[in-house]
Amino acid sequence: MSRVVYDGTPIECEPGDSLAIAALRAGQHPARGGTLCLAGDCGNCSAIVDGTPWVRTCQTEARPGAVVQRHPNGSHPSPGGPEHHTQVTVRHRSADHVVIGNGDSGAAAAAALRSEGHDVLVLDEAAGDEVVGVFDGPSIIVRRNDGIEHFHVHHITLATGAAEVHPVCPGNLMAGIFTPKAAAKVRAAGVDLGNVVTVGAELKAFHGEGRVSEVELADGSRVSCDNVIVNLGSAPRDVLARMAPLVPVQIVGPAAEAHALPAAPQEGVLCPCGKITVEDLDGVWNKGFHDLELVKRSSLCGTGTCQGAVCMPHLRSFVADRSGVEPKPFTARPAARQVSMAEAAAGYHIDTFRRTPLHGEHTKLGATLDKFGGWFRPWNYGDAVSEYWAVREGVSLGDVSTLGKMMVSGPDVVEALERLYPNHVHDIKVGRSRYVINLNERGHVLDDGMICREGDTRFLLTFTSGGASTAEMWVRDWVETWGLKVHVLDRTVSHGAINVTGPLAGELLRRAGVNDDDRPKFLQHRHIDVAGIPCHVMRLSFTGEASFELHHQIDQSVELWQALMELGAPLGIKPHGLQALFGLRLEKGHVIVGQDTELDSTPRRINMDWAVKLEKDAFVGRDALIRTASLPDERRLFGFTMDGPAPLEGSVIRVNGDVVGHVTSSWDSPMYGHAVLMGWQKRLPHADVVEIDGREARVSAVPFYDKEGARARM
Amino acid sequence: MPACEPPRFEGLVGWRIIADRSALDTAPWPAGSHVVRISPDDAFVIGAAEPGVPGDEHAIVTPELGFAGAAVSAEQVADIALHHIEWKLPAGPCVAQGQIAGVPSKLVLHADGSALLLVACAARHELEDRLG
Repeated sequence: MSRVVYDGTPIECEPGDSLAIAALRAGQHPARGGTLCLAGDCGNCSAIVDGTPWVRTCQTEARPGAVVQRHPNGSHPSPGGPEHHTQVTVRHRSADHVVIGNGDSGAAAAAALRSEGHDVLVLDEAAGDEVVGVFDGPSIIVRRNDGIEHFHVHHITLATGAAEVHPVCPGNLMAGIFTPKAAAKVRAAGVDLGNVVTVGAELKAFHGEGRVSEVELADGSRVSCDNVIVNLGSAPRDVLARMAPLVPVQIVGPAAEAHALPAAPQEGVLCPCGKITVEDLDGVWNKGFHDLELVKRSSLCGTGTCQGAVCMPHLRSFVADRSGVEPKPFTARPAARQVSMAEAAAGYHIDTFRRTPLHGEHTKLGATLDKFGGWFRPWNYGDAVSEYWAVREGVSLGDVSTLGKMMVSGPDVVEALERLYPNHVHDIKVGRSRYVINLNERGHVLDDGMICREGDTRFLLTFTSGGASTAEMWVRDWVETWGLKVHVLDRTVSHGAINVTGPLAGELLRRAGVNDDDRPKFLQHRHIDVAGIPCHVMRLSFTGEASFELHHQIDQSVELWQALMELGAPLGIKPHGLQALFGLRLEKGHVIVGQDTELDSTPRRINMDWAVKLEKDAFVGRDALIRTASLPDERRLFGFTMDGPAPLEGSVIRVNGDVVGHVTSSWDSPMYGHAVLMGWQKRLPHADVVEIDGREARVSAVPFYDKEGARARM
Repeated sequence: MPACEPPRFEGLVGWRIIADRSALDTAPWPAGSHVVRISPDDAFVIGAAEPGVPGDEHAIVTPELGFAGAAVSAEQVADIALHHIEWKLPAGPCVAQGQIAGVPSKLVLHADGSALLLVACAARHELEDRLG
């Protein structure tokens, strides 16, 4: 004799007892009442076992020392489970033919399949294989004591048998009610049920104080009892069959047989999972929901923990009684049993967040790292404002290894790029580069970047960090669609890139061994050694200051970074993170595609018509831009200034109290001492003064900083 | 938990070549190099010597240091497949590509079931964490 703890009280149990049997042996209901099937079909014996809620105690061995708590009375247990989950192992397996259920019909089906030469795997709950989900694929999810198994299968045979029908009548949530098979199990375990009354369709109501003491029959008579067995027949155990209507499963045995529906319920709780009564269903019906699926959705009957296993026959009978048509069963959703969050999440991973080769350097410098565009990137190194001033007044390093980088080469490469980009490409000279945006067929901005010409038939393309992952698809898809001969190689994760920026950037390169004559001028690019390391140096500017992007092989990133930091120390060099970078580029009026743009932003809407050459014969998006050019367009991205503090990005922009747009970027400018921002106005006429965060903001021309662009060319 | 030792990755030195399929089919690879054909027009040549592709004047030939690799035994491959791969693993020799433990990876499968497991250096830490 061993013991388990039930609601704080030790109770004794026999070897082989389930927790539910142990509770019954102690004279208690394993939960708080309701008919017991002891077959795992209903949730009426569910409790919190060792911290995990919704455990069917009838299917759980009474392991010595187990701690069971009944769910809160009148409410659901809080989600979750033990604070510290053990890791749940996931195994992926393949099988040709799976038979679920090993009763008479399952065993016969398996034998027949084997005789036909099939490789058959039988999964049976009694043997520890609890099938909790069937999915298209087909695949099935099995819970075992030692983990979760994902089976990829070719054929599924369901031999899940039939479930006993529960009674629906007044008092049916009391303790002391059993199905016939449940009662047999209890008796087989040696538990004395006392004075037992067996009833069937003549049942009208149960009476008692929390526990049945009398059964009322249809003729009005009452019979005293300690427990009652209710025999209302059975219904297909079809939760798994209803789970994947598109999966070709074969159903055999009692699960496939026709079963008469019980009499239409008149009173009582029909869905014990949700405590939904016949009266609730009448209310739904009277509101006009007459289809079984609509009755389910509007009442939630059938969406509880048993997925309709208990209420389905009664619900169908209810609808058939009122509509005159017997409805087909509704779909069930995985999981057929409650699974823990650890079990549900086991084997799955969130997105892969990549690290640049300088990840360790950032960590050593005390950077706060955050996730942007699929990468871990430095947000700041402790003081974004001092990082900002390092860029504006001195020199700073930024890790831009995450930028998309793509080599393209081939006899048709110029033709391909002319078709891909709305700007001219053919006239870019070798050693020069050009800013470009790329559009979809609707003329909406997808991304932006640079085109660097390396040779007559060879270019390097750059993309934003967030757009890099789809850039290769975009280029390849179009090149192949057009049948052009172009080689494409994505170098995003193979090349590192460090942005040397600030008015002293040129001086730092000089100290790193780059002669002034070798240093590329604005929008030029060259292959030169920097601090002895081969680099592809691109002269451009996102920060508004002179900037040199040093692209290089990733195995030399750390060496290059450390050399530049050391050489730049006398110049007061600091690295800058994204927080400063976002402010620097905002002052310069550079948009961030995806932050300042929307899915349907055209170049006109973001004031970048200058990057589009409609006189070109063809490029992706040209037809759409021409078609929409003459149409009124109320949407426009504006620059604004306002007194600080800077409003939150996403704040609404109002005109005369009406919402006309939202703030896309916002920054307390250390340079100007007030906030600079960008945001949308989506209503004509566009206002010069708007209200943001209850304060006045004024439309301002962008760029806010260095309108002539002189500093980037220093 | 996995029954086998987790793979031990190291950075690989090689060359990446994008060229016409026919040019790659007939390219004279440097002695001692190991060629991983990622796709018909894409080869990763592991080895220090720069390969040439005489059959395609527009071929892209560039140093490739973006991959980390681990030699894994047939037992390790089976263990990884059981615990971390949701797609059907083909029989070698071939190159299989897909997510392993949620990380984009490549498996250069040999006829004896062993393999070279490749992952971008940028995602190496994620794969090591998840396989470890």
